Amino acid sequence: MSIIETNELVKYYDDLCAVDHVTLSIDKEVFGLLGPNGSGKTTTVLMLTTLLRPTSGNASICGHDIQKHAERVRSAISYVPQDMAVDIKLTGRENVMFFAKLYGIPSPKDKADEALALMELSERADDLTRTYSGGMRRRLELAQALVHEPSALFLDEPTLGLDVAARKKIWEHIGSLSRRGMSIFVTTHYMDEADRFCDRVGIINRGKIAACGSPEELKTNLMNDIITVRIEGMCQPPDLEGVWYVGRQEDEISFTAENGKEALPALAETLTRNNVKVRAMSLREPTLDDVFLQAVGQQEEPHGFADSKFRMMLRRRR
Amino acid sequence: MRGIITFIQRDFLRWERGRVAVISALIMPAAWLIFVGLALPVQFTGNYLDFITPGILVMTMLSAGLSGGALLMFDKILGFLNKFLALPTPRESILFGKILFITGRGIIQTTIILIIAVIIGASLLQPLQYVMIYIVLFAFGILISSFATTVALYLEDHDSYAAFNTMISMPLFFTSSALMPYDVMPGWLRAIAVLNPLSFAIDAIRDIGYGIIPVLPLATLLGIACFVIVLCSHVFRKVTI
Repeated sequence: MSIIETNELVKYYDDLCAVDHVTLSIDKEVFGLLGPNGSGKTTTVLMLTTLLRPTSGNASICGHDIQKHAERVRSAISYVPQDMAVDIKLTGRENVMFFAKLYGIPSPKDKADEALALMELSERADDLTRTYSGGMRRRLELAQALVHEPSALFLDEPTLGLDVAARKKIWEHIGSLSRRGMSIFVTTHYMDEADRFCDRVGIINRGKIAACGSPEELKTNLMNDIITVRIEGMCQPPDLEGVWYVGRQEDEISFTAENGKEALPALAETLTRNNVKVRAMSLREPTLDDVFLQAVGQQEEPHGFADSKFRMMLRRRR
Repeated sequence: MRGIITFIQRDFLRWERGRVAVISALIMPAAWLIFVGLALPVQFTGNYLDFITPGILVMTMLSAGLSGGALLMFDKILGFLNKFLALPTPRESILFGKILFITGRGIIQTTIILIIAVIIGASLLQPLQYVMIYIVLFAFGILISSFATTVALYLEDHDSYAAFNTMISMPLFFTSSALMPYDVMPGWLRAIAVLNPLSFAIDAIRDIGYGIIPVLPLATLLGIACFVIVLCSHVFRKVTI
C-alpha cells in the first residue's frame, strides 16, 4: 500500500466542482501536482491534510483514513501552506521549538536544532524572523514541518514569490528529504521546476487529473519533436502525414512530428499554401509545458465568478 | 493541555515583544482612574475612587478582551490557523489557549490598574478579598474574550471587527453600574444597567469590597460564560472544517 492514496476524491463548493474524481497513489517520491490557478490543487491538498471534508470519495495516508482517523493522519503528516506564516516577532529557533512542542516531541530543543541545521539556518537561529529573507522564511517553515519526522510532507506552492537561487535551494532540500524516505506532495504551476525536480507529476485541470506519470514518460508519450510556428491571424491545422497538431497559445501553434527535421519544410509549405503567414518556426525537444498544453488544451483564466451574475450586475448599473 | 500551554506561551511571547501595545492598553483605564476617579465632584459617596475602581478594573478587562478577539481572526487570515489545524494537537486547544491568553493578559493589566488605584488613594482590602476579586475578573474575562473571539471569527474581516469593537465598548461601559449607583440613575438607565453583564462583574467586586460574598452575580457571570464558550466552540468548529 502506498503512503498517500486517494480514491475518486470529489469536492464541490456549492455547485462548482473543484476536485473531480481524483485517484492518485503516491509512494516515497516527490510528486508534483501541476495545474493553472484555480484548477483544484490547493483544494486537493486541504482535503488530504484533513482541513477540508471531501464531498465524496476517500483517501488515506499511511493507511489511516482522512475522515475516520483524522488525528492519526495529522500525526503522520506536515503541511506547509502557501501563505508563509511564520511569527516575525519570534526568533527562528522559537518558531521551530513552538512546533516541536505542539507535536509533543520528547526533546524539543535538540530536534529543533537538528531541523534548523538541516535547513542551513543554524547561524541565524537566534535572530528575529522579521530579519529573514523570503527564501529563509520558507526554509524555516520546512524546518517547522520536519521537526516531527513526518511520513508525508505537503507543500503548497513552496517556491512562489522566491528568486531563482532561493527556489533552487528549496528544491534541493525537497530532494534530500525525499532521499531520507519521506513522501513529498508538492503543488506548483512552474512546469520547468516540476520537470527538473519531481519524480512523478500529475496534471490537474478543472479538478480532473488530465495526465499522470514521470516527466520523461509524459514527454516520450508525446512523440519525439515539437515544432512551434508563429503565425499571423487564424489557421486551420493542416492535415499532414507524420505531423500532429498539439495546441495553440496566442499566435503560436505547436505540432509534434516523428521526424522534425523533415516535417519542418513540409509544414511550412502547406501552411503557406493555405494562405497562413508564417513568421517563425522552431524545432525542439518536448518539455512539460507541451505535455501540459496537450493535456489541458487551450489555457484560459478560469472564471472566479458566475458569468450570468456578472452580466446582471452590469445591466443594473446602466 | 500541553497544546493549550504552548499556544499561550506563543501569544505571551509575541505580546511582550510588542512593547508599545503593552503600555498603551493601560493608558485609558489609568486616565479614567486619575482624571475621573480623583476629580469628579460627587455627592453620593465620600471616596469616589473606591466606588469607581471596580468599574475601571472591569473596563480594563473589557478592552483587553475586545482587542484580543481579533487575535484568532488574524491567525486565520494570515494562514497560521491552517498550519495549527493540520497538527495532531486537539483543535480545541487552539481556541482555549487563545481565550486563556486574552484573559491572562487582562488579569495582568487589571493588576497594574489595581496597584495604581491603591497608590493614588483607594482603600486596601484583605488578601482574601483580592482573591475573590480575581475570581470575578477571571470569570468576566473568559466571558468577554470568548464572546469577542466568536464575533471576530464570525465577521471574518478586520475592519468590520474594529467597527464592532468601537461600537460596543463605550455604550457597554456607560450603561453599566461603573460610574454611579443604581439609586442615582435615571429610571431608563437603571433598566439597562441591571441587565448589563458588566454590572454583574462590577457589583460583585463592590460587594466583595463591602465584605459580602457575591454568590448570585458570580453564579450568573459563570453561567453566561459557560454559554458563550459553548457557542464559541461551535462557531470555531464550523469555521475550521
